[in-house]
Amino acid sequence: MGFNFRGLAFKQSLMILAAITIVFGLIFGIMSYKTQNMLNKMTVENGEETSRANVNYIDKLFNASKLIGEDLSHKLTDHPMTKSDMDDFLLQSLFNARNLVPQVVAVVVAYEPGMGPETPKGEYMRLARFNHTDTKLVTGANYQDKEWYASTRDGKTSRWQEPFIGEFVPEPIAVYTVPLFKKDKNGEDVLVGVLAVDMSIEFLKEEIGSIPVSNSGYALVTTAKNLAVAYPKELAQGKRNRDIIVREKRGQKLIDFDRKGRDSSGLFIGTVADGEESAIYYTTINSTNWTFMVVWPIQKYLEDQSAMRRLFLLMALGGYGIIFVIILLISFRVAKPLKELALAARKLGRGNFDVAIPKMKGRDEVAEFAWAFSNMLTELKDNIEKQKDMKRIERELDLARNIQLSMLPGEERDENSDDDRHELAPFLLPAKEVGGDFYDFFKIDNDHLCVVIGDVSGKGVAAALFMMVARIILRTMTKNLKSVVDAFNKTNYALAKRNRLNMFVTVWAGIIDLRTGHIDFASAGHNPPVVRHNDGSVEFIPSKAGLVMAAMEDTVYKQQSYEMKKGDTLFLYTDGVTEATNSENKLFGDDRLLETIKKSGDLDTANTCTFVKKEIDKFVQDVPQFDDITMLAVKFNGSDEPVWERYEKTIDVSGNNKGELKSFVEDILTPMDGAKKMQMQDAWERYEKIVDVIPENQDILTAFVEGILAPMDGSMKSQMQINIAIDEIYSNIVKFSGATRVTLIVEVRKATLTARLTFIDNGKPYDPIKQADPDITLPAEEREIGGLGIFIVKKTMDSVSYRRNGENNELAITKTL
Amino acid sequence: MQITKTNDNDSLTIALKGRLDTLTAPQLDAEIQGKLDGVKSLVFDFKSLDYISSAGLRILLMAQKVMNKQGSMVVKNASSEIKEIFEVTGFCDILTIE
Repeated sequence: MGFNFRGLAFKQSLMILAAITIVFGLIFGIMSYKTQNMLNKMTVENGEETSRANVNYIDKLFNASKLIGEDLSHKLTDHPMTKSDMDDFLLQSLFNARNLVPQVVAVVVAYEPGMGPETPKGEYMRLARFNHTDTKLVTGANYQDKEWYASTRDGKTSRWQEPFIGEFVPEPIAVYTVPLFKKDKNGEDVLVGVLAVDMSIEFLKEEIGSIPVSNSGYALVTTAKNLAVAYPKELAQGKRNRDIIVREKRGQKLIDFDRKGRDSSGLFIGTVADGEESAIYYTTINSTNWTFMVVWPIQKYLEDQSAMRRLFLLMALGGYGIIFVIILLISFRVAKPLKELALAARKLGRGNFDVAIPKMKGRDEVAEFAWAFSNMLTELKDNIEKQKDMKRIERELDLARNIQLSMLPGEERDENSDDDRHELAPFLLPAKEVGGDFYDFFKIDNDHLCVVIGDVSGKGVAAALFMMVARIILRTMTKNLKSVVDAFNKTNYALAKRNRLNMFVTVWAGIIDLRTGHIDFASAGHNPPVVRHNDGSVEFIPSKAGLVMAAMEDTVYKQQSYEMKKGDTLFLYTDGVTEATNSENKLFGDDRLLETIKKSGDLDTANTCTFVKKEIDKFVQDVPQFDDITMLAVKFNGSDEPVWERYEKTIDVSGNNKGELKSFVEDILTPMDGAKKMQMQDAWERYEKIVDVIPENQDILTAFVEGILAPMDGSMKSQMQINIAIDEIYSNIVKFSGATRVTLIVEVRKATLTARLTFIDNGKPYDPIKQADPDITLPAEEREIGGLGIFIVKKTMDSVSYRRNGENNELAITKTL
Repeated sequence: MQITKTNDNDSLTIALKGRLDTLTAPQLDAEIQGKLDGVKSLVFDFKSLDYISSAGLRILLMAQKVMNKQGSMVVKNASSEIKEIFEVTGFCDILTIE
């Protein structure tokens, strides 16, 4: 993990450090300034201290020399002298002067031409000089143009001359010159000559050079004309006086230092003899107008200052470092968990919900955040789980809906309810949400078809489940009880018994007798069906609706009936049809439905449903379908077969139980009146035999039929022909149908000596009547044996008829015995 | 069904008793199939035959086809019921019925 320069820790640290830097900078600046000032003050004080004694000493000496000069000048003007007097005077003066100021090395007089003692014309210059051992008198000449003489003569005032190395005193000397006057006739002062006191300044060099100054400093004396006259020997280093120039630093430039126009004392930065930069304190030597300086090389001078700065800087840096570390620690303390949280969040983003949220101690904001984050994770996880659950539930609901819909019968073929006496088509378009519409159709027996349509209140899973239960109970009840009303009553009871959600279902169900078109029906609060008659007229079936199912346990439904004519179509529907709503909130409605059915003309059942749906679509346009749209249409084709009242009894034909059968019939007939009895006597006796489809069972069937027919005393021929027919039909079933079970129903009608044999097999659909008859005129070589058996049957029997009834083939033959 | 075969040189008489139907036809088929070599005259005696179904007709047709090539075939003593079957199926046109 590298250091993140854009991280919180770094930014924070940087900002705090910047602030601290500014504070430190300010403190440092102020401290520096203060220190500078203090140091300057200290330096000045130091300089003053160093200077004071020396300047005083120098002043004292020079002032003494000056006084000597003044004193001597007075003596000279008071007394006119001879040459020897002058010599004595000079020697005496020098002696006296040296007693006062040992640095005095000569006393000199020089006169204007012709003005000297015993000198009527020409120069006169005489001096007494001390040369370290003795005193000598010397005569000088050519002085009138010399600086010391000329300046004093012309200025007519006494003064200190710039030091020079004398003609007679071979060492640097400072000379104090005093003009000499004499009163003329008019009493006015006339300049007659100049007196000079020569003072060696060698001592200055020694004295000044040896003055101890702190911090490697030294002292320096310059004349009024800024000529250095006293300085440490080290400074000379072969340089001449005039090379030792004091310069002042002004900005970046160095200019020659001049005390003129400045305070009598002060401090400046500059150089001496082009040496290193120094701090220089100067003060005026009043007696000579010379300058006394104390010089500290700047390095040394700054040493304290920089030492202090260094110390401060060091402390600052130390503090800086400590603060930096502390900030980093704090920042990392803050940033690290944040970083970890960010990492966790990233993992989370990738879908890893098991990511560990770093545990935070304490109760600071970061810990709080981590806690919140952890909470968020948990809740997110829960939510996603919930979402997943929801998704799963939704998927499962879809699945449930699919199962639910797929359990509804699709085609009659699948339900094995198809035959030629009717035609039927269901239609169910589910709404988006799971709904509770259903339809059903099934055969109760060969001749009775039950049709059901229903609508469970509400939507969703509950409705769907309820619908399935209702449908299954109703179907089972109807099949077992063979009565709509009984089935309704029982189903209602079963549903109402445990109906804690108070759901209910509207149902319309009818049992159609496929032979007659008679419908027994009942309605549990459902819309009355529409009938489209063969002639194109339409009407609602007068249907008295009972209470919806599952509402009350003890509801009793009323059986109603309706007679369908040949070609009538019964149209069942749910309110998804009549309550289809358009954008103007108008319902499709009963009238429009009637109109639509009427318009459908003689369309078959499937197309009738589709047509209604199209009309609904036209009506609602783009308004989404809210409810399931469910329809079921049945067309009654009718049947030409005679219809008999039907009584059923199953007996075992293997034993001798003909009497049982007889009493069964008698029991039915006895209560009947004459005509009816006559009719009933004409009824068919019915026998049934079920066998597995294996060739050997043909004998069983033959024996079964012979056993029934023999007592009827028919002709042998008919008996034989029936046997052949059994042989042909059964062997066909065995060979070609793939059936596993054959039911043979033998019906005999004693009145007319007629027998009817109905072969019911569960094999693949096969209508033998439709087969082409074999050509029986061909010669033997060209004959095909196939189809001959059925051909024989057709030829020898009175009638042969076929019906595909559900999953069975029904082949019936009749024969007069 | 009972099958009685009587051989006399190149003539063969087959007498049937009972029913010649789907169940019994295979027996007859087994007696005839490949056993007519050298037979010039084949006689079916249906005196005791109760009835015949299309399965029996099939065997008669097969035998007739064979005998058309090597000799003659006669059906004797058929009952009127059986004759009626021959009538309706057009077998009376291809069989020699005496």
